[in-house]
Amino acid sequence: MDAGLRRAYVETLAPAAAVAPLPLYFTDGASAKAIAVYELALALLWWRARRGRPARLPDTALNLAGLAYLLLLAFEVSVLHHGLLRCVSHLLLFTALAKLASIKSAGEARTALLVLFLLTLAAASSSTHVSSLLYFAAMALLAFYALARLAVLADFEEAPPERVLRSVPTVAVSLAGIVGAALLCVPLFYGLPRLKGPYAIAPFRLEDGLSTALAADRVDLESFGAAKRSDRVVLRLTADAADWKRIVRLREAVFTEYRGGVWTRRPSLLRQPTGAPRDLPLPPGLEPVRIDLNLFAKGFLFLPYGVERLHVEGGRSAYPLADGLLQASPGRRALTYEVGLGRPAPVRGAGSSAIDPQTVPREIAEYAASVVGDEKNPPAVYARIESRLRRDFIYSLEPPSPRGDPLVDFVLRSRAGHCEYFASAAALMLASRGIPARLATGSYGGELGLFSRSIVVRGGNLHAWVEADLDGTGFGVLDPTPPAGLPEATSHGSFLRSIAALGREVEFFYDRRILGFEALDQQRFFEAAREEVSGLTQTASNWSSAWTARAIRRGIEVLAVGGALLILAREWRRRWRRVPPATRAYVALRELLARRVGFVSAATPPVEVARRLARSMPDAEDDAAAVVEAYCANAFGGRSLDSETEQDLARRVRRLRRLAS
Amino acid sequence: MTRLIPDWEIRITNFGLGYILMCLVVAIAATNTGNNGLYLVLAGMLASMAVSGVLSRRNVRGVSCEIESIGEVVATRPALLRVRLQNTLRTGTAQALFFLHEGLPGPLWVDPLKPGERREIVVEGRFPRRGVVRIPDAGLLSRFPMGLFRKYRRAIAAREIVVYPLPESSRVPEAPPEEARGGRPHAFRRGGGFDIRTLRDFGPGDDPRDMHWKQSARMRRWIVREREAERDRAVVLTVDNALGDPEDPAALDALEHAISRCASQALVLLSRGGEVGFQARGVRVVPQTGRPQRARVLDALARLEAVARDGAPAFPSLRRGDHRVLVT
Repeated sequence: MDAGLRRAYVETLAPAAAVAPLPLYFTDGASAKAIAVYELALALLWWRARRGRPARLPDTALNLAGLAYLLLLAFEVSVLHHGLLRCVSHLLLFTALAKLASIKSAGEARTALLVLFLLTLAAASSSTHVSSLLYFAAMALLAFYALARLAVLADFEEAPPERVLRSVPTVAVSLAGIVGAALLCVPLFYGLPRLKGPYAIAPFRLEDGLSTALAADRVDLESFGAAKRSDRVVLRLTADAADWKRIVRLREAVFTEYRGGVWTRRPSLLRQPTGAPRDLPLPPGLEPVRIDLNLFAKGFLFLPYGVERLHVEGGRSAYPLADGLLQASPGRRALTYEVGLGRPAPVRGAGSSAIDPQTVPREIAEYAASVVGDEKNPPAVYARIESRLRRDFIYSLEPPSPRGDPLVDFVLRSRAGHCEYFASAAALMLASRGIPARLATGSYGGELGLFSRSIVVRGGNLHAWVEADLDGTGFGVLDPTPPAGLPEATSHGSFLRSIAALGREVEFFYDRRILGFEALDQQRFFEAAREEVSGLTQTASNWSSAWTARAIRRGIEVLAVGGALLILAREWRRRWRRVPPATRAYVALRELLARRVGFVSAATPPVEVARRLARSMPDAEDDAAAVVEAYCANAFGGRSLDSETEQDLARRVRRLRRLAS
Repeated sequence: MTRLIPDWEIRITNFGLGYILMCLVVAIAATNTGNNGLYLVLAGMLASMAVSGVLSRRNVRGVSCEIESIGEVVATRPALLRVRLQNTLRTGTAQALFFLHEGLPGPLWVDPLKPGERREIVVEGRFPRRGVVRIPDAGLLSRFPMGLFRKYRRAIAAREIVVYPLPESSRVPEAPPEEARGGRPHAFRRGGGFDIRTLRDFGPGDDPRDMHWKQSARMRRWIVREREAERDRAVVLTVDNALGDPEDPAALDALEHAISRCASQALVLLSRGGEVGFQARGVRVVPQTGRPQRARVLDALARLEAVARDGAPAFPSLRRGDHRVLVT
């Protein structure tokens, strides 16, 4: 292969080759050193190509390198115990370099492209971060450029002029192609059949801290802090006409058992279906709130206070537990459900379980006694406790390491902690004074969506508070956390925050709708589409009774038929106009002769056509001769006909047709 | 031998086949693993294939390609062709186009054509046999944008290209004597006599022996002496194009040789100032002299087709005194 052509191939493939393996570094699919060596070698190949001296390794060197790599591969597999992905990625990196350094034909350039494609495949299939979308976009652009230029190079046998590769593809066509492909890609992605559940689930579901914090059957003070520091999306809540204040507090679980920094639920309460809303379609009149929840651990649902009905989508169900809690049926995938809110009423938590005063640690009970003194009135007792917590304690997401019981340490020594410390301390102190109380966990507030009436709830919005019965009317919500530690109910953003919100929306979309997209989502989508179509059909059938609809339908039919006729007429005219009038007349002559004698060979010369026609129709001799003469003069002599001659030809052809009939 | 000029309009390339195969592989991998990253790649590949088809179709169909010959075209000899290209699209540059013609050693790169842009290029081509070319064996080929398909659009002839037969040297027939004109008056014409009639630019068909070297050197262009006709010579060259079987290759080959020899004899006689005509079954070129007659005779020879002997027309009648020479 010509050196210039090899240079063109290397320069065409190098940009895509440089970007293709990058995500493997972040997904641990290839070692950083291997990628660095690959990029350096690639840069060297590109530099040599730019200098006009593209590398071309001899076959011997390639074979030796291949053998050496086999040994390295064996060492990597048997001694280093790298995973399969790493070994394969390293092999692909080596192969890509070897191919790019030894392009000898167009076929080898295509092989190099295939190796790069496999690298891209490895990177794409192992990436789960939202930034993968950027990678896909970059690779789409680079691949389009590379393929367009390879398509041109395939027809060159030597180095193309500089301007050739520079001119292909143009920016406008590239943009049109990539945007078109991206638009088409969306329905294809969502329409391709899914036979298995999603392979890669959003990474935050696997994060231990968050999972433990929301395990609901067991929550410890330390992991709750870790969860609050996380920026992961927990759920998205959408409401059409929402009174945000009413639904920003979402209750997930309540706890009554405290021991050594860990809250648990009383075993006897775990499976008591009392007070939970029923899983039924929402009747009209209830205010609907839709929640897309990324499930954690045991799958407890986040519910606003005042829920009367609940409907879980996608064929999943929810099991009612004690105290109005709901647990989703087993499964790791995300869950979408809709809840119906009743009329606004004082906020009360369902259920009656409360902390047993006997289980309150002695130090906390004594501290409560010192705070409350001889006050007996429950609201006043809580007021004193809240006042003390807010005055003497500091809100911190990173409290000092406790010595012994974390809560005792918080109350007596560190006096710094996050919302769960405050809520736990208040609940236990209330219980120690004989007031029914318990710890509630869930979320508070969120970020308003940029393009929808929705709230995105993230790890930072996880919250804990107290449910206590102060006046005998039920468990009301008490929040002893200082205002500084309370997440914002709803946050409207500046431009920068809007950008950040957009990023979060994209991230949520990627996690929920791309990475975790599955057959059930697909089924839901098709059902929605079917309902939409049936709705349209219904509307159309309603229209059919009205005379205006009939008129419109007739109009559309007339327009369609008229349009079709117009297109046919234009096409016929376009084809007919291409043929010069003299040729048209001669063709008519041949057709007449063929009709009379049965067959006229394509080899029959024009003069012979005229002679044979004259023989079969003696009256047609002059006209036939005139047509042939005009045809020969026009077609062979290059003489153009004036309009008078054209009209004369048309007259003669008409006369001939009359004679023939 | 692989034919350079395609007889198809669209064909999938080897790369395209590989691409489809990779689509299948990715589809199987995606279905079996449920990896949405692979689904995304698969959707992208399928979408790219569709978009590639649309762009490719626009790219090739949007460009019109017309061909016309410059000067005379003789079979198997290089001839100049003017190729007119026009991008008829209102938007979208036509790019990555190659012009194909049998006479070219390989595909000819065409620089991108902006929307509405017209361009003319002149190429050298060869036509393998005499005849009339209404649909030229040439066109535009493109693999744009991704090389999955090759699309070809045949060029159209702005006007028919008449390919003259290649003269084949043969014995030149004896010219009839002066008195053979049958009493028709003598025409004062240019010809191959001794007297110089005028000096003029050299043109196709002129005898190189008439070149006026000194005058050419002075004028810095080729000048020839035009002589007066020494005497009238009305020779009607005749080729019998009636064959027992017009499909018989041997007979057709013989006819082609006869046509080539006829062309050669006509050119020699005309260059000597003779009055030359041509006849075949159903074809007649009245004897005349000069360069226009040369074109007429060659044109008739180029268009001559074999006809079946049964029912073939008779040779047209001769004028009084014309001398018929049957070329075989």
